[in-house]
Amino acid sequence: MTLIKFLLTALAGTALGFLVTVRVLDRGIGFDTARAGPWFGQPKSGTMDIDPYANAIIARTAELPLGSAEGLSFIARTDSLGAPLRPECDYTVSGMVPPTRYWTLTLISPEGWLIDNRARRFGFTSAEVVRAPDGSFTITLAHMARPGNWLPVGDTKHYALMLRLYDTLLDFGTTRVGGGALPKITRGRCT
Amino acid sequence: MSFGDRFFSLLLYATGVLFVAALVHLVAILIMPQVAPRDAYARLGAFAKPGQMMLLPRALPGHQLTPFEDPALAQAVCLYDLANGPLHLHADLPDTRLLTVSFRTRTGQIFYSMTDRASLHGTIDVRIMTQAQLDAEQETDDDENDQPLKELRLVAPDTKGFVLVNALANYPSERADAEAEVKSVSCAPETLAQD
Repeated sequence: MTLIKFLLTALAGTALGFLVTVRVLDRGIGFDTARAGPWFGQPKSGTMDIDPYANAIIARTAELPLGSAEGLSFIARTDSLGAPLRPECDYTVSGMVPPTRYWTLTLISPEGWLIDNRARRFGFTSAEVVRAPDGSFTITLAHMARPGNWLPVGDTKHYALMLRLYDTLLDFGTTRVGGGALPKITRGRCT
Repeated sequence: MSFGDRFFSLLLYATGVLFVAALVHLVAILIMPQVAPRDAYARLGAFAKPGQMMLLPRALPGHQLTPFEDPALAQAVCLYDLANGPLHLHADLPDTRLLTVSFRTRTGQIFYSMTDRASLHGTIDVRIMTQAQLDAEQETDDDENDQPLKELRLVAPDTKGFVLVNALANYPSERADAEAEVKSVSCAPETLAQD
């Protein structure tokens, strides 16, 4: 009787352990998180010091993070107020980017895949974006075409934004990064 | 059996379940990179031949090899196996386009990365080797004259791994040039001791 109880304990523990592992990996929980406003990054993922959780996640998803000398990448799943990005609303991504040789902004599904759209535009590079005289820029995310820098949102329920800073001077190891260091995401009109 | 005894034994088993769960969770996280069947190396390996720079298909909706790819990049990969000797990576950089190189282990960790800014006179020369290969080379080096090294020697933590080369196409019209640039990076295994 005791043996059966022991076996059941071991079995229940193993099942619970796997369940927790799958949940944790799916939700992308890790110890190495750098945050600036709505943007989240894992700066150590580009080094051998990668967080074991992040390492397990990249093994499962097969993603190829940027090396620390290549640049830094950030993902935003919400606007600057913390509300999830909704496909029926317009958003503007505006402001400045820290000193960086090049950057790109890409619209992706939460799982990291590109979303098809009629305009066949999936993001902007720093060279493509039209700027104001002071160097700041505004990119509009919307279903329908908008004047200026328009990033189309395809047919999707959920999406996220990825900002990649290539060859950047931003360093999370030595500087505290404020919420305003990366562009603001502001909700506009909703239909 | 009194109520207290029952409660105590239940608590004991619950603790046991939690202990086993925590152990299983930690072990699963730590061995995941070794056992994940469809990791980056496996996906790239199905596509690229070892010891050769292969251009990856352009990231387009529905046709992506791996998630979280930057559609503005042209990417090429070279899988290597250092068992038979070091690997020599050479790049000529004709223009100022952003070119980045990352050196990754079999399980995807990055042990070194660089951009075209780290080039010397417009070229990048990197030799990836195991610690044993480096030691052997340094022994013979001592006998010769002390010439400055023209290349970067990198010790790889594992014999197997891959090199990922990225070039940024600032505009869609630059894609062909960016693809040509990453494809032109050579990655060749050194079989016997040469020059």
